[in-house]
Amino acid sequence: MPVVRLEIPPRSPYVGVVRLAISSLARTAGLDEEKVDDIKIAVSEACANAVLNNEESGSDDPVAITWEEDADRVRIAVADRGPTVDASGSDAVDTQGFSTRAVMSYALLKSLVDGCEFEQRDGGGMTTRLSITR
Amino acid sequence: MELGLDVQKKGSHAIVDVKGEIDVYTAPKLREKLIELVSEGSYDVVVNLEGVDFLDSTGLGVLVGALKRVKAHDGSLSLVCTQDKILKIFKITGLTKVFPIHDSVDAATGA
Repeated sequence: MPVVRLEIPPRSPYVGVVRLAISSLARTAGLDEEKVDDIKIAVSEACANAVLNNEESGSDDPVAITWEEDADRVRIAVADRGPTVDASGSDAVDTQGFSTRAVMSYALLKSLVDGCEFEQRDGGGMTTRLSITR
Repeated sequence: MELGLDVQKKGSHAIVDVKGEIDVYTAPKLREKLIELVSEGSYDVVVNLEGVDFLDSTGLGVLVGALKRVKAHDGSLSLVCTQDKILKIFKITGLTKVFPIHDSVDAATGA
């Protein structure tokens, strides 16, 4: 069961690096191109949420991305140490009725992968757990 | 990671050709360009996404923000996109009902 761990500074230029790594890992795992794309977008959204949260608070603690795969599925965890946020997007629409970025991100996370859960971390921060069946 | 942004004028429309990946890092550059166009008086804007390889919620947020700006001047913001992987992002987030999405720049400008 291969496990790959990656840590990035909680800043926006590094999210593209994670996408490259995740695409490569997903292809190495033999996922088809549609699933490669889906997982890439979902992980990028989880990282963007972590980065935006940390940039806002000025936190420098790294964001940790863990990839694990077995015969049936791939699991990816994105863990940060930023302030606690409501990942489901508490402000669903703005004053003009448009969806906010947070709620669009949540919709993408929930739609693109088979499993998506948010957990508060001991010691502060949040973990987004994603899974996709092979 | 660079985001390519080229602007052409076609009649009353400003056409923004975007190339590369629109994400949490590059979306602010697109936001600045769209704000600049509106502040210069371009209220009918076409954003051509045919050269875009990746689009996330930050990019969607920028497009929604630009739509609100042009609407404030009775303008329009339409998109050009035929790539399934990008269209999927608009469908999941319900934005296919918000943006006119065309399959060519000519269709978007009514040429």
